[in-house]
Amino acid sequence: MAFYVHFTDPHSEEMVDYLRSIPPSPGTCFFIDINRSTDLKYTGGLPDWGRKLNNTFNFISLLNDFPENIVKGIGDEIMLFIPDEALKKKQTINTYYQLLEEIYSTVHNISGFPIPDMFLPCKVSIHYCTEVYNITFFKGANDYYGKDIDLTARLMTKSIENRIVLSETFYEKVRTDLQNIDKKTDYGCLSKVSGKFLATFRGVPKNTEYRVLEAG
Amino acid sequence: MEITEKKAGNCIVVGIDGRLDTTNYSVLEKKLMELIDSGDIKMLINLSKMDYVSSSGLRILLMALKRITMAKGKFALCSLQDNIKEIFEISGFTNIFEIYPNEEAGIKAL
Repeated sequence: MAFYVHFTDPHSEEMVDYLRSIPPSPGTCFFIDINRSTDLKYTGGLPDWGRKLNNTFNFISLLNDFPENIVKGIGDEIMLFIPDEALKKKQTINTYYQLLEEIYSTVHNISGFPIPDMFLPCKVSIHYCTEVYNITFFKGANDYYGKDIDLTARLMTKSIENRIVLSETFYEKVRTDLQNIDKKTDYGCLSKVSGKFLATFRGVPKNTEYRVLEAG
Repeated sequence: MEITEKKAGNCIVVGIDGRLDTTNYSVLEKKLMELIDSGDIKMLINLSKMDYVSSSGLRILLMALKRITMAKGKFALCSLQDNIKEIFEISGFTNIFEIYPNEEAGIKAL
C-alpha cells in the first residue's frame, strides 16, 4: 500500500521527516498507449470505441497477469508498475526478459490479429526505475512518483504504433536475465531490438539512452 | 511443457502438456515449424493437458495458423480446459481458430 502524504502545514517538519523515511521501491514501469481511439470517438459512438478499448485493455492486462499492477489509466493510456519484490513472487512472468517477451507478444498479437476492428494498436515505453517511491497525495489511492516515472513517460514520445521503446537501463536488466540462462541477445524478441539511440528530454539533465522493438 | 505428436489418418495431432509461456514457447515454435515445413499442414493441437498459456504462447499458435492457412492446409484446436477457453475468449482467439470439444471431433473435421 502506498505511503499517504498529507500535511496541512506547508512548512511541516514532520512532513519532511516522514518523506525522508519513505524507502524507494525499485521496479519496472510501463506506459501503454492505445492508438486511434481519439479518431474513433469522432467517427463512432461509445458502443464502438468503448468495445475496442474494453477488448484491448483486457488483452493487455488479464492475459499477462497484470491486473494488480495497473497503477492508473489516464484516458487511453495505462501505467503499470511492477515492483521488483512483486515480480519475483509472480508464478510465471517473473523476470525482466519475460516481461519484455510477453509485452512484445501482446503488441504483436494485437497488430497481426486476423479479424479487423476487435482491438486497437498500442505503443509502449518501458524503463527500469530506481528513483521511485510508492506514495500518494490522495487518500485511498495507489501511485508511484519519482524521476524515473517521469522518464518512462518521456520515452513514450519516441514510440509509435506497434513499437516498444525501452530504456537502456531496462535493456541491461533483460540482457542480464538472458546471461543467467546462458542465452545471448540474439535470443527471442531481444534479437529484434535496435541499436542504441540518444534522446534529450525536457527537464532531464543528461541524455537518455534507449532502444526500440518493432512488434508490428 | 511436453509436446507429443502422432499421426491420425492424413492429419497430425500435436499434444501440449503443461504450461506454455516465455520459458518454452521457442520449443513449440521449432516443433510446429518443422512439421509444417515437412508437409504436415493438417494439424490438430490437443490442449487437454495444457494448464496455462501466455501471450507468447498465443503468438506461436497464431503464427502456425497463418503459416498453415498460407499453405492451404487446416489448423484446429481441441479439448480446451475452462481456464484456457477463457483466455482464448478474452484474446478473441475463439473467433479465429476452429475449436473442437475433443480429439475425435477434430480429426473428423480435418
